[in-house]
Amino acid sequence: MENLLTINNLQLIYHSPKSETQALKDLTFSVQEGEFVSIVGPSGCGKTTILSLIAGILRPTSGEILLANEKIEKPTSLVGYMFQRDNLFEWLNIWKNVTLGLRLKKSLTNENKEYARSLLKKYGLEEFSSSMPSELSGGMRQRVALIRTLCLRPKLLLLDEPFSALDYQTRLLVQDDVSSIIKSEKKTAVLVTHDIYEAIAMSTRIVVLSSRPGTVKKIIDLDFDPALTPFNRRKLKKFNKYFDEIWGLLQ
Amino acid sequence: MKKYSLSHKRYLRNLYLKDFFTHLVRVLLLLAIIGLWELSASKNWADPFITSSPSRVVKQLVALISNGSLWHHSWVTLYETLLAFGISTLLGTGVALILYLLPFMRRVLEPYLIVLNALPKIALGPLIIVWVGTGTKAIVVMGILICIVITTISMLSGYLSVEKEKILLMKTMGASPLQILFRLIIPASFPDFISVLKINVGMSFVGTIMGEYLTSKAGLGYLIVYGGQVFKLDLVMSAIVVLCLMATLMYALVALLEKCVKRR
Repeated sequence: MENLLTINNLQLIYHSPKSETQALKDLTFSVQEGEFVSIVGPSGCGKTTILSLIAGILRPTSGEILLANEKIEKPTSLVGYMFQRDNLFEWLNIWKNVTLGLRLKKSLTNENKEYARSLLKKYGLEEFSSSMPSELSGGMRQRVALIRTLCLRPKLLLLDEPFSALDYQTRLLVQDDVSSIIKSEKKTAVLVTHDIYEAIAMSTRIVVLSSRPGTVKKIIDLDFDPALTPFNRRKLKKFNKYFDEIWGLLQ
Repeated sequence: MKKYSLSHKRYLRNLYLKDFFTHLVRVLLLLAIIGLWELSASKNWADPFITSSPSRVVKQLVALISNGSLWHHSWVTLYETLLAFGISTLLGTGVALILYLLPFMRRVLEPYLIVLNALPKIALGPLIIVWVGTGTKAIVVMGILICIVITTISMLSGYLSVEKEKILLMKTMGASPLQILFRLIIPASFPDFISVLKINVGMSFVGTIMGEYLTSKAGLGYLIVYGGQVFKLDLVMSAIVVLCLMATLMYALVALLEKCVKRR
């Protein structure tokens, strides 16, 4: 399969009046179409920075990022970004939140509206179309945020700790939801997380980063039956084996 | 109707009683103040020539209404206040927007804003009169000066407090700077706008009355100054009562606007 995303020798230096900080150094990895890749690493190793670079909202100091063989220079609609918080606009109802991106691109066609409506319906949010965000639970809000991203039909989803603001029970449920949505919509995803369990439960591959300046320490291919949900993966023996391996790498 | 348990009914009853009691004491307090005021005047505990009294205020108000001057003076003050309120809110919100959009200008002008905010605007009174002349114009300018700096500062901090992550989200969805402004920054800072309106209700009255103290031929501020000079404290008190009512009404209108927009 072809690489959807290629990252070559990426470097990033942050500047502040008192110092400069090398956040990323010689970062190289690639993501194939249909993969779910998680990035884990010690805090401050530049995980979120990588996503900002892929999304084109930050420029690298050197190195390059190729998405579908095109160099990323600015935000593109091939990439959808999901944040830690749902960032729903409180003054817009669910339907308007979901179609925000389409409105921005002035592509609120009947076809796209139909697609948005079908996503809401498929993931159990249709009856809340005219509700305000404040009327929804945290898990539902995060699903709305995902649908808002999917409406723009991105090829690559960037997930920046999208579950960490949820309580534990909701988190496990939403992980299953999001994983099945991404699978059934046949999207490629890159997840950044500090939760090793979450990474093992959801991904096909895990990129382990070193502490700052962040660079690839090891890439681990996970061998799970693709039909397993994240929740059910947690029950297997090899789940803990993977955990021990990653834990060891992070020490 | 839903059936509630006994304990819930008791809870609701307590809630209702508490609410009722609050309102009751509020009204009683007002009556007590008016009663005590009247009593002290009639028993000559305090000289009613200096403290006036509720009955004298009512008499004065009736006299003002019957010769039509109450409406005239109230209208003049209300007109000047509304002008100052409207112009300063619009200008302040606009200036804040420009400063928000131009970070360099914002940094340059920051100390100037701080000084302007700290300056007691009444000190500019003589300048205003020399520059724009006496009368309504000077009064409205005074009102605007008092409101505009705080409007600018409040709205600017409102724009700046829009979450960075929401701006990033807009960028990742390919939004242009104008789209970010109109679809995110402005609607997100609407609560700040409402609180600016609420502050400006009070501030624009302060400005107008101060302006009327400086230079006026009519208005409630004029009545207060005139009443003070000729020692007609009944007139002063009456004008203050009317001012209280007008300011409350305007605040209530802003609160109503807030409710309407929130429900939408």
